[in-house]
Amino acid sequence: MVAYARSVWLGMVSVLAAMQVTLRYLFTHAITVQYPSVKRQLPLRSLNRHVLTVDPATDTLKCTACDSCARACPTRCITIVGAGKGKERHPVEFVIDHTLCMYCNLCVEACPFDAITMWTDMYEIGAFSRMGLLFGKGALTADRFYPSPDTPSPRSPVDAAAESAARSTR
Amino acid sequence: MGVLEGRFEPGVVTTTLDWLFNWARRNSPWPLSFGLACCAIEMMAAGAARFDMDRFGAGVFRPSPRQSDVMIVAGTVTEKMAPRLKTLYEQMPDPKWVIAMGACAISGGPFYWDAYHVVKGVDRLIPVDVYVPGCPPRPEALLFGILKLQEKISQETIARRRLPSVTAAGPMPGGSAV
Repeated sequence: MVAYARSVWLGMVSVLAAMQVTLRYLFTHAITVQYPSVKRQLPLRSLNRHVLTVDPATDTLKCTACDSCARACPTRCITIVGAGKGKERHPVEFVIDHTLCMYCNLCVEACPFDAITMWTDMYEIGAFSRMGLLFGKGALTADRFYPSPDTPSPRSPVDAAAESAARSTR
Repeated sequence: MGVLEGRFEPGVVTTTLDWLFNWARRNSPWPLSFGLACCAIEMMAAGAARFDMDRFGAGVFRPSPRQSDVMIVAGTVTEKMAPRLKTLYEQMPDPKWVIAMGACAISGGPFYWDAYHVVKGVDRLIPVDVYVPGCPPRPEALLFGILKLQEKISQETIARRRLPSVTAAGPMPGGSAV
């Protein structure tokens, strides 16, 4: 009988000890990010929707329609139509099919001109139809500076300040 | 969809009922807990504390298709899974919606070109309402898809739909970004 009462008591104590963890978190702040109104700051290198970077000197796309990214793509989701010869070569049409894209960054690594980057924060690309997930040249063209793997890493404080400024505008 | 669907002409009563029904349906899209591959991990993350799908009424993952409204197809649909998926969809009561989550569910994704065993898009089996791209999508992207689905639900009506007078071959519906 004593052993029985003892085991009942121990059972109650162990439940309370286990509830301690729960009770401790009951009085902390909730970690929920209120998503549509508050957006989490993504890590710099998180891979999201592509962007075709713009050369600030000439205000044109850096892309030369060399087809490197399309050939590197494992899912073959990039379609490029180029025009012009030599230095004049540029993409007439550049479509990325985001129904197929698997966000592997290989197109960015293959690009010899740093013309495409996935270090953006555009992940809200849900659509009501498959056609809404095809992104053409107009939709992909960058509206501002986006970092890419070729962006110089911050070595001097000046560079670090520039990058933090670029990140704070994201 | 239901017994009331498509039996009345549009009017004051149907629009008021639409408002009520859509309000109720929009704010409780209970998903079927149905994870097929790695996208299910992100779906779980979306249901957990940091993202908390319960804020949109969508966090009640039901283990039975009879109790669920939304099927989040999270992951690769193999040919072997296809008949089961179709059965589960048919077991869900109307009104029901489908979110295709991730590249595999949308189009086969990485398996589109040279895999024999993957269904090239879940919309070949069942009608899909919202496509959420990503490999896998972020939890926020899934929440965005649920918000889009709520947008879509709030536009539904129980009244008899008027067919468009001219059915011309126009561009595909949806926000084409090309």
